[in-house]
Amino acid sequence: MGLGKRERTSVGAVDMKEKKTISPLRRILVNCTAQVNEYGACVAAKVPEVERDMCLKEFLALKTCMQNTINVFNFLLIYSSGERCNIWSFGFAVCMIRLKIQDNLRKMAWKASSSQASVGGLGSGALSHVFIQYPPLRCNIPGSRGFYYDDGNKLLISPTSDQIFSWKTAPFSPLAAPITDSITEGPICSVRFSLDEKIIAVQRSNISIQFWHRETEETFTHRCKSESESILGFFWTDCPSCDIVIVKTSGLDLFAYDSTPKSLILVETKKLAVSWYVYTHESRLILLASGMQCKTFHGFQLSSAGIIRLPKFEMVMAKPEANSKPVLASEDVYIVTVYGRIYCLQVDRVAMVLHSYRFYRDAIIQQGSLPIYSSKVAVSVVDNVLLVHQVDAKVVILYDIFADSRAPISAPLPVLLRGFQRSDISNSRPSTKESESSEASDSNDNEAIIYGADWTFLVPDLICDVANKLLWKIHLDLEAISASSSEVPLVLEFLQRRKLEANKAKQLCLAITQTMILEHRPITVVAKAMDVLVTSYSLSLKTGSYFKGIKTERIPSSVPNVSGPGQATGVFTSRTDGKSVQHEPATRVNSVSFSRPSTYSSSETEDNCSFEPSKISSNDTQFVGGKVDASAESSTTDNPLNASVSEQQKSQLTSPAISPDEMYRSVFAPIEEEMTVEPSYLVAIILEFFRCANLERVKVHPSLYVLTIQLLARSEQYAELSLFIINKVIEPSKEVALQLLESGRQSLQIRKLGLDMLRQLSLNHDYVLLLVQDGYYLEALRYARKHKVTTIRPSLFLEAAFTSNDSQHLAAVLRFFSDFIPGFRSTSDFFTYYNVLNEMSSSVTA
Amino acid sequence: MGLSSIGTATEGMQLCIFDLRRGQHEGQELDKILYFFPPDLPFSTQLSVIGLSEGLITFTRIFSPEAACEVIEAERHSHVFYEAEPDIWMVMIVEKSKEPEAIWRIDALREVLKEIHSLFIMFHGSIRALLDKEPGGGLTRAHLYPFIMDYLRACQKLSPLDECCWDFLVGKKLLLPSFCDCLKERRTVQMLTVGREAAIEVQTLVRLLESSAGNAQCSSLILFQDLLVSTTLSPEDTVNLFTYAVLRLTPLALSSGARSWSYLRKGNTSSHVTAGSTLAPSGSVSEQFYGSQDTSPAGDNRYCVVRPLQHGKWSKGKDGFLITDIWGVDVGRSDVTTPIVWLQHTEERMYLCAYQYKSLTLILLIPLSSILNGEQGVSTVKQQLLENASLKILKVEEKLSKGWGGENAYHVSGYRYLIVDGNRDISRASPPAKVTTLTKESLLALNRLREEVDAEKSRSKWDNPGRDKDLEVSIRAKNNAWAIARIIGGKELYMVLEKANETLLYASDAVEKFSNRYCSGAFSLD
Repeated sequence: MGLGKRERTSVGAVDMKEKKTISPLRRILVNCTAQVNEYGACVAAKVPEVERDMCLKEFLALKTCMQNTINVFNFLLIYSSGERCNIWSFGFAVCMIRLKIQDNLRKMAWKASSSQASVGGLGSGALSHVFIQYPPLRCNIPGSRGFYYDDGNKLLISPTSDQIFSWKTAPFSPLAAPITDSITEGPICSVRFSLDEKIIAVQRSNISIQFWHRETEETFTHRCKSESESILGFFWTDCPSCDIVIVKTSGLDLFAYDSTPKSLILVETKKLAVSWYVYTHESRLILLASGMQCKTFHGFQLSSAGIIRLPKFEMVMAKPEANSKPVLASEDVYIVTVYGRIYCLQVDRVAMVLHSYRFYRDAIIQQGSLPIYSSKVAVSVVDNVLLVHQVDAKVVILYDIFADSRAPISAPLPVLLRGFQRSDISNSRPSTKESESSEASDSNDNEAIIYGADWTFLVPDLICDVANKLLWKIHLDLEAISASSSEVPLVLEFLQRRKLEANKAKQLCLAITQTMILEHRPITVVAKAMDVLVTSYSLSLKTGSYFKGIKTERIPSSVPNVSGPGQATGVFTSRTDGKSVQHEPATRVNSVSFSRPSTYSSSETEDNCSFEPSKISSNDTQFVGGKVDASAESSTTDNPLNASVSEQQKSQLTSPAISPDEMYRSVFAPIEEEMTVEPSYLVAIILEFFRCANLERVKVHPSLYVLTIQLLARSEQYAELSLFIINKVIEPSKEVALQLLESGRQSLQIRKLGLDMLRQLSLNHDYVLLLVQDGYYLEALRYARKHKVTTIRPSLFLEAAFTSNDSQHLAAVLRFFSDFIPGFRSTSDFFTYYNVLNEMSSSVTA
Repeated sequence: MGLSSIGTATEGMQLCIFDLRRGQHEGQELDKILYFFPPDLPFSTQLSVIGLSEGLITFTRIFSPEAACEVIEAERHSHVFYEAEPDIWMVMIVEKSKEPEAIWRIDALREVLKEIHSLFIMFHGSIRALLDKEPGGGLTRAHLYPFIMDYLRACQKLSPLDECCWDFLVGKKLLLPSFCDCLKERRTVQMLTVGREAAIEVQTLVRLLESSAGNAQCSSLILFQDLLVSTTLSPEDTVNLFTYAVLRLTPLALSSGARSWSYLRKGNTSSHVTAGSTLAPSGSVSEQFYGSQDTSPAGDNRYCVVRPLQHGKWSKGKDGFLITDIWGVDVGRSDVTTPIVWLQHTEERMYLCAYQYKSLTLILLIPLSSILNGEQGVSTVKQQLLENASLKILKVEEKLSKGWGGENAYHVSGYRYLIVDGNRDISRASPPAKVTTLTKESLLALNRLREEVDAEKSRSKWDNPGRDKDLEVSIRAKNNAWAIARIIGGKELYMVLEKANETLLYASDAVEKFSNRYCSGAFSLD
């Protein structure tokens, strides 16, 4: 795994990187030409129908050859031979080789992806599944003394000697202006704003914290009582009994903030030996490490619902050799909040795996492990997708740990910088949008370094480039992800779980579904896709997120809102690192100051400066436990330990669920209009939709029924149509009945079904009217009398009787109206037809 | 009960098919005879029967050129006429006897003729086309003879004594529909009632089935037990295939393969059939005339004639598909040839593949034109079908079995009924076992009533073509019974209520209740 580990000088790394990736390629090309060609030819013959395990034989041969040649490709190989083989990476590897691209990794990859993209026209172009958008938020303040991240309020904080600059990162905007507060001079270990942002707390040393009231500018300092203990850090909480928690080597002190006497009131103390701790505000969970190896943990969740004490548990660590006992460092533990569930990810550097644990109220259960490919990893969560940055290898692997599978949802690919144009290198990034290169200069090029040594990952989805004083937000490229897999149902499932860019996910789902039908995919596949969509919709109905979504949907948010969860409340998060010693609590980014006992190479220490609390590094592997419904996330389930309450959800808008209406309007109707899909296939698909809808008890839009009737009638499948009606596959409604009457012009049988439906729906007016129009005026009269239909003009009946040329019937109808409508004898209708009747009878007698 | 026995074929029933366009010159009269039963009757007798029929037709055409003779009631015989194709007539002559069982409903007899003809067309194409193919008529006769014999054999009942007797004149009985069958309607389909969920599953299965053959326009029929679940064929073709399936393909038909069936199969299946044919003419002149050797399974040596109605020829193969050697065995391969049927609606020839899983019978029809490499192509489709639909078939079978109420599912206590939806050729009736509990008088009354209704229907058909006439008749019969008929909007309801109150109001209420509960109000008057 040595790749890139040592090249940590950042300037000019671009070139280096490319060289590094290409030379192994060359070597492979030289050594394994035969295998490459065989496998390439095999794949090329089958594209675009890419399947799992296709060309397996050739692949294995190639793999062996490649493994012998070099281990750069380990990533790709490991992934492609994984249990749920991701075709994408497969094809990626192949195409890289086959195309013999010399110069540009991205370009190659892009081609690979486009040749692969099963969902036509959705690929976004550049090959990556995760991107950061240029421009970043620039936080360049003269005299800055480092960066701190307050995850409770989502503030990026940069103090100078007498001022504190803070940038709102949620919602993220590159133009955000800092707010400035003045403080007194002095050392700063960490800074956190109270959740109402009225008070600034600054840790001055390992025994004292200073508090500022921002409006009144009142200040006081809180100090540790005893000399033997030191402050590891602190954070604000929305727990009802206390406001601020101070973590000390001797345990937790819970204080209430009292503004009038300007002091902290001790509420509760939890005595524990603490080496270091990890806390994130979104989970409201604090983990306290203790023991020789720092692998024994006590946990508390301090949420607005109260304080929950978790059982003590131990993390698993492999031993490098018999006697040595590695010590777990704080930067190797991440608290991750995904789908409202709280996980802890722990890097095991010896075994090179990432262990995952899930927290329940009464238990902590290990969920399995994910492999890691870099000695340095970091973890982000974007829209409930777990991103494991393999920092040394400069790629990121995505996991959707909602599903049972611990397979990654995408191949390892680098993070893409979007919208940035390099001034000197003219290389092609196929879809560069916009972005003048004007200001591109050397410094700008530095900005563009992906996975620079100074990148610090903040909870949950921010990256702070400490060296360049930039803040990036990580985005998922949903298009690229969905284009990367040919297993449409899986892609749809994935998209349906996305909340952050719900609208985009929804549009993608619609487009994918539409394309799938236009491409005539096998019915079974489409059926699965329908299942996914309908199930997701019905879930969203049950949890109410669909309607919530509708409301917010209107507001177009050009800037994708920042991190979903937890943005509502603010509290400081801090994670301390370093064990025993003093350590600055909150996160500190660049500053050199403290010695962190790191077990690993010195180089590492600098980059993981503890910036943001949540760096998650891990790839989860099996995560078997997480089977709770998506919707059930956070708040609803009670047993699993929930991330901070439901507020997470509220702020976030739409759900990508697709209602039957939208399904009709955006999928079926347009397809029908295009007329390129043959009716029988479309009917088959619609049927599948009915089936899913029926299973989930979701009501189908009547227009879809009408469409079905039209399709069947157009292809003259009257036998099926009547079966559909009789078995209520097409549910009765007025629209349906009218369409049956309309289509019944070609088939009497269908028309009768329509009439029957009108009668059964008690649409008496229409029924009687149709009977009269068909000439069954006597039957119509009888029916009208029984069901008291009085809305039809008598003249219609009389006219019908007259045209039938039967004087007896005409007389009967006249008599009927005379008897049952008071005053009918004085209407003009009566006289007209009375005379007509007289003429008729006289002509008969004559 | 319910079986009309005819002492001898000569006296009992005669059935003939003849072509008015043939044999119009003296000396060539034999030419016009296409089929005659019993076949060993002297030609002179045959000709005199046909001559009479021809004369009647010619005579009645003077008054009604479009629709000539329908029935002639003589003192001792009834002549039932049916013009199967232009100028090709089928005439059935039944003897009136003193036995009460020999009370027919003429329309029911005519339905038998229609059934014979439409089944024949399904397998062999129209008679006229066969005649055009070989103007001599030999080909036509060679087809008609074994076909109708096979059909009639189904109606035939042997006395237990003459198992090995080849003299078919003794002790043979034909089961023709009598008055006891008045709560049945031939040439209609009986459907299984399914819930919405099951219906959707079935329909998705249909789509899977029909997609097995790629882009070819396939059709399918799905049966559960002896009831139709789904069809994508036109009503006529559905009826024909359904009839054939119930005769030969459904699990019940397969299990009773060695036994003969009857119109009352469910109620009455005890009969014996000898291995050979008892209806075959043995060494008479007509053997040459009809060009048929009944002993050779595939028909005759001159013509290769398939006999789709033969008994016991279908069986279930290992892969679940039903196989038969009726259509011959592929030369050089052990596979049997796939049956071919002719659809009236699309006028297309289709391969017939039948698949059976438990009570579920699936029939897939694949256009001949869409499969280029014959048998091989068919077996590819079969393979595809298994791949596509196996799971779904399991699921559907399970669903349907769960919802299936058994033989008496459609029994409504207190009522003995028959509903016919003329628009779609569907009928539903009380289970046969329940009908047998009715007294003979009630059945006779209903039979009589149905004859009246038949007459009324055909009258109004002429008066007002294309218009439904509503009709209601209630008859008070012996034993406090009501026999009721209602026709509304092309749907017919026949009903017998026994031990009923004497007021008409009671009868009418009973019908109303029945209509509202079981027919979603289709038969509700006013």
